Amino acid sequence: MQNAATKRAAAVAAVLAIGLAAGVAEAKDKIKVGFIGPLSGGTSSNGLGGRNSADLAVRLKNADADAKYEYELVVLDDECKPDKGVQVATKLAADKNVIAAATHYCSAVAIATVDVYNRFGLPIIVWGAVLPDITYGNDYKEVHRVNGTMINQNETAAKFMTGLGYKTWAIIHDTTDYGKGHNKYFSQYLTENGGKILGTFGVTADQQDFTAELTKIKSLDPDVLYFGGLTPLGVRVRSQMEKLGLRALFEGTSGIVSDTFIEGSGELAEGVLAFREGAPTELLPGGKVFMEQYKKQNYAEPSEAYGPFAFAAMNLILDTIEAVGPDRKKVRDTLNATKGRDSIVGEISFDKNGQNSVALITKYVAQDGKWTVWAESEYAKGKRKLKGQK
Amino acid sequence: MQPKTGERPSLWPGLLGIAGVAVYLIVFLMIESQVGVAVLLVGGAAAVVLAARFGALERMRTSFAGREGSMDIAVPAAVLALVLVFHQDHFTLLLVATVMIFMTASLGLTVQFGFAGVLNFAGAAFLGIGCYTAAVLTKNTGLSHLLVILAGGVMAALIGGLLLYPVLRTRGHYSAVITIAFTLLFKTFLEVNDALGGPQGLRVDGLNLFGWAFNDNIALTETVELSFYTNYVLASLVLVCLGFAFLRRLDRSWIGLNMDAVRLDETASACFGYNISRWQITAFTVGNFLIGMAGALYAMMLGFIAPTNFTFGDSLILVSIVLLGGIGNPWGIAVATTIVIVLPEKLQMIQEYRFLLYAAMVILILLFRPRGLLPRPLRAYFPGWQPK
Repeated sequence: MQNAATKRAAAVAAVLAIGLAAGVAEAKDKIKVGFIGPLSGGTSSNGLGGRNSADLAVRLKNADADAKYEYELVVLDDECKPDKGVQVATKLAADKNVIAAATHYCSAVAIATVDVYNRFGLPIIVWGAVLPDITYGNDYKEVHRVNGTMINQNETAAKFMTGLGYKTWAIIHDTTDYGKGHNKYFSQYLTENGGKILGTFGVTADQQDFTAELTKIKSLDPDVLYFGGLTPLGVRVRSQMEKLGLRALFEGTSGIVSDTFIEGSGELAEGVLAFREGAPTELLPGGKVFMEQYKKQNYAEPSEAYGPFAFAAMNLILDTIEAVGPDRKKVRDTLNATKGRDSIVGEISFDKNGQNSVALITKYVAQDGKWTVWAESEYAKGKRKLKGQK
Repeated sequence: MQPKTGERPSLWPGLLGIAGVAVYLIVFLMIESQVGVAVLLVGGAAAVVLAARFGALERMRTSFAGREGSMDIAVPAAVLALVLVFHQDHFTLLLVATVMIFMTASLGLTVQFGFAGVLNFAGAAFLGIGCYTAAVLTKNTGLSHLLVILAGGVMAALIGGLLLYPVLRTRGHYSAVITIAFTLLFKTFLEVNDALGGPQGLRVDGLNLFGWAFNDNIALTETVELSFYTNYVLASLVLVCLGFAFLRRLDRSWIGLNMDAVRLDETASACFGYNISRWQITAFTVGNFLIGMAGALYAMMLGFIAPTNFTFGDSLILVSIVLLGGIGNPWGIAVATTIVIVLPEKLQMIQEYRFLLYAAMVILILLFRPRGLLPRPLRAYFPGWQPK
C-alpha cells in the first residue's frame, strides 16, 4: 500500500517535472518594451511609420532563435499633445514590466515627459524630437536620443545654401517650438555665413491660408524661402507659393523629409531642398536590410523619414536587454555607456547628456518624386538646375 | 418637520446603482485586453438598456432625487473606494484625477451653457489661463498653493471679463464665434510670448499645502505606499465636490431661477423686468472661475504645460462633455466626463483607429439619447416632491 502510493506520487512528480522543464525550454521569458509616438492627428504619418519600424525591430528579434527573451511591444499614442504625453508616459513608466522604450516624435511632448521618465526610472531613447533641451536641458540619466538636434541641422543647411551662391532669404516658420527653434538656429548660422534675411513670418501650425505672408514675401523677392515646420503645413505653403507666382527656391527642414510631402505637393516638390540628421538609410548596408524587411512585413504605411531612427532606437534597446538582462537600472547604465555602435542610421555614441554625438547631416533634394541625397542627384552633377541657381 | 409628500423613496436602488457603477469602473480600469474592454462596453450598454426596460433606472432616479443627502455621501465614498483599490497604480489614479478636474471645468461650462444659455467655446482657453496662472505664481512667488488655485479661478474670471462686452452685444452663433476667436488668439499669444515659455511650454511645481508635498508618495507603513497621485485625486475630489455643491445651491436659488428665465426667453424675461446682461455676466464669470480653478490644479498635477494643450479642439472636448451628459445636469457631466476621458485611453490598443471608434460611439449615444445621457430633469421646487 505504502509503496504503491509512493510510486504513484513519484510518477506524478516526474510527469510534472518533465512538463515544467519542457515549458521552460520552449517559452522564453516575456519582456515588455514600449513605443510612444503620434498615431493620430496631423503628424500621424510619421508616428505610424515610427511605430511600424519599432515593431519591425521587435519582430526581427523575436524571429531570431538566439535571442534570450521574447519581446512584446506596448504601443501608446501621445497625439502630439503634452498633456496626453504625460498621461501615456506615466502609463508606460509606471508599468514595472516595461524595461525601456523608444519615445516621441514631437518636441513639445518629449520635453514635457522627460520628468516622468526620470521620476519612474524608465530608460528611454527619443527617436524623432529635435529640440536641444530634451537632452541638454536636464541631466537625467534615463533620457537618450539617437537623432541629432536642430542645431547641427541648421548649421549645415546655412553653410550649404550660402555655398550654392544664394544671397537673400525669407523665413516662414510655425510658432511651435519646432518651427521657432529652427528659425532661431537657421537665422543665427545664416547671418554668420553672410546670408541676408529679408523677412521672418511666424504662422500657427494649423493655418490654412498664407496669402498675406506670401504676398509680402513676393514683394521682398528673396532668393530662397526657408520653411521651418512639419509636412502638412509645408505642402500648403509650397502649393500656395506657386499660385502667387513666387520665384524663390523652397528650402525645408527635417520636418518635410517625408513621402507624404512629395505625394501632397506632386510636381511642385521637384527641386525642393531639405536637411536631416543621420546618414541616409538606403546607402548604409544595414539600411538596405531594413528597407527589404520593412517591405516584407506589408505595413500599411511607409516608414517615413524617422522610421529608421525608431528602428535603430528599438534595436539598441533590445540588444542592451539581451546583454544585461531585463533590469531598468542596468539597461540605463549600459545605454549611457554606448559608444561607437553600428546602426542603420550610422554610428551611435551617447555623450554625457545621452545625446547621440555623431551628428551627421544629410542634404536632400526632391527629384522625380523621391527624396534624393544631394551628392547623388542630377542637380549636384549639373544636369538640372535649382530655381535661381547661378 | 419636513412636509410629508407621500412616501420617502427607498435608499437602496440608488446605493445599488452607485455600487454597480463603481464595481464596473474598477473592472473597466483594470482590464487591459482588447476582448475584455469590448465585452465590458457591450455588457455595460446592455445592462443600462435592461435596467431602463425593467424600470430600475427610474427607481434609481427617484432614489437619487429623494435621498439627496445620502447620495451626496455615497458617491464620494465610492470614489474613495476606487482610490483604495488602485492605491499603487499611478496611471489609473492620474486618469481618475484628470476625470474629476475636467468634471469641475465642465461644471463651469454648465453654469454658462446650461443655466444662463451663454455660449462659450473657449473652455480650453480659460482652463489654460488657470494653468498658466499656476505656473507663473508657483515659479515666481511663495504664495500658498491653496491661494494659487483660487488665483487661477480669479484670473480666468477677470480675463473672461474682457470678452464680456463683445459677447453681450452679440447673439447666438455670433457670440459663439467670438469665443472661438478668443481660443485661437489665446493659443497664438502663448506661442509667441517667450516670457510664458513660448511654444515649448512651462514647468509647474507640484502642489504643496502646508508642508504636505503632493508629489511624494505617501508611506503608510514600511511596505504599503500610496501613489503620489492619490494626493491629487483627493484634491480634485474636494474641488469637484465644492463645485457640485455650489452648482446645486446656485441652481436652486433665485439666481438659478433668473438664469433659467433668461435662457428660455430673453424677450419675455426682459419684459418682466429681468436684467438679462446681469445674469449673463454672472454666469459667464462664475463659470470661468470654476474652469480656471480646475486649470490651476491640472497644471500642478501635470507638472508641465504647453500651448498645444489648449487648442480649439480641446474646447470642443469640453463642450462635447456638456452635450453628451445632458445640458444643465451635473450628474450627466459626471457620467459624460468619465466616458470622454477614460474611453479613448482604454482604446489605446487599437492605436490609430481609436478615435474613429470613440467618435462612432459618441454619435451612437447622441442618436439614441439626443438630449444627452442624463437630460436635466424638471426643476424640483420642493425636495422629495413627487409628481402624482
